[in-house]
Amino acid sequence: MIYADNASTTRISDKALERMLPFLREEYGNPSSLYSHGTKSKNAIEEARCKVAGAIGAEASEIIFTSGGSEGNTCVLSSIMDGHIVTSSIEHDSVLKACHALERKGVDITYLPVDSKGLVSLYDLENSIRSNTKLVSIMLANNEIGTIEPISEIGKFLSKAGILFHTDAVQAVGHIPVDVKQLSVDYLTASAHKFHGSKGTGFMYKRKGVPLSPLVFGGEQELGFRSGTENVAGIVSLGYALEECIDQMEPITNKVRELVEATVSGIRARIPNILVNGNTESHLPGIINIVFEGVSGESLMHLLDLKGICVSTGSSCSSKKKAVSHVLMALGLTEEQARYAIRISYGRFNTIHEAESVIAAVCDACKKIAGFSGKA
Amino acid sequence: MESKVCYVCGKEKLTKHEIGLTKKLLDKNTKCFYCLECLAEYLEVDTEFLLEKIEEFKTQDCELF
Repeated sequence: MIYADNASTTRISDKALERMLPFLREEYGNPSSLYSHGTKSKNAIEEARCKVAGAIGAEASEIIFTSGGSEGNTCVLSSIMDGHIVTSSIEHDSVLKACHALERKGVDITYLPVDSKGLVSLYDLENSIRSNTKLVSIMLANNEIGTIEPISEIGKFLSKAGILFHTDAVQAVGHIPVDVKQLSVDYLTASAHKFHGSKGTGFMYKRKGVPLSPLVFGGEQELGFRSGTENVAGIVSLGYALEECIDQMEPITNKVRELVEATVSGIRARIPNILVNGNTESHLPGIINIVFEGVSGESLMHLLDLKGICVSTGSSCSSKKKAVSHVLMALGLTEEQARYAIRISYGRFNTIHEAESVIAAVCDACKKIAGFSGKA
Repeated sequence: MESKVCYVCGKEKLTKHEIGLTKKLLDKNTKCFYCLECLAEYLEVDTEFLLEKIEEFKTQDCELF
C-alpha cells in the first residue's frame, strides 16, 4: 500500500507507540488516584503537557488535553452564547457545524469568503467586525488545499481590537512552526493523529485569563476545563509524536516538498491541463489538491485504491457525506470542477519511489476513466 | 425497466452491482456498462477484488449498491 492521505490521518510513529504502550498495560493507574500507581500516570500527562507547551510557545497551564480537533473546536465555539462570531467559509465542519448550532440559538455568524487561493482577506475581516463581535475563528491551514492563512496579521488586529481569536491548527501543528504568541491567538486546537500520534487525543491551547466553558462536566480533570478520566496512553503518544515532529521538521518539510514538486511536475508532463488548487506561496508542505478536467475525483480515488494507493476526494456518493467540497466551491470552482479534484497528501514515511508510483497510477487511471467516458 | 448489456462481451441482464461498479469506478452518468469480468479486465484487477469492493461500498452506504 502507498499511503498518500496524510492530511486525513498519519501512521503512528514507532516512538509514540512504544511510549504509550506501558500506559495501556502495566501503568494503568487513574491519574486522579492519590497512590503511586496513579501518580505515575499523572506525571506522564504533565510531562506531555510540558512537551506540547514547549512546542507551541505556551505555558503548561495553558494546555488542555481533549479527544481531538473536533472536540476542541466545538468547545471553543460553544463558549460563546450570544453576540457575533466571525469565521471563514472554508473551515472544517467541526467549526462550521458548531457555528450553525449557535446560529440556531441566536448567535450571529459571519462566514468570510476566500479568494481563489483560499486566503481570507484582512480587509474583509476588519469590515466584518461589529460592536458585539465576541470571537473570530480562522483555521491556520486548510485541510483540503493546504493554504496557510495570515493568522499572525489577523491576530495582531484582533488583539488591538480586544476580540478573542481562535485558530483551528489541526493541519498545521507538527508540520509547520507554530507559536501562539507570534500568532497572537487566544485559543488553538490540534489533534494527535495528524502528526503521528494516536487517534482520539488532541489538545487545546487556552491563553491564561480568557474564558472557556467546559463541554464535559465531572471530576474537574484538565485544569477543570475537560472532565473525564484522561486518555493517558494517547496523551503520552501525543507528547512524543509532537516532540519528534518538531525535532525533525526541517528535513521532513524538505522531503515532502520534493515529493509534492515531483508529483505535480510528473503528472503535468503527461496531463498538461491539470489545475492545482491552493496558495503556492504560503502552503503546507505535503498537500496537493489537483483538478483533472473531465475525470471524476471519486472514480480516480477508487481506481487508485484498486492499485493500493490511498488519496482522498472531496466528493462522494456516500449518504454520510455531502456531495461536493465546500472548500473548493468557496475558491470559485464550479461544482463540476470540484467533482474532478483529488487531494494527495504526503508525510514523512513516503518516498520518492512511492511518488513515482503515484504519478504513474494517477496518469494511467485518468486515461482509463477518460477513455471510458469517451466511449460512454 | 430495460435490462443493461455489457458493451464489450454482450452479456445480458447486468446486475445492479455490475451497473453500480461501472458508475462508481468510471462514470456515474454512463449509459454504457461492463459486466464484472470485462470491468476486471479493463481495470487490470481480478473479479474477487471487485466483489470485495462492492461489499465495502455497501458498508459506506453508497446508494449505487
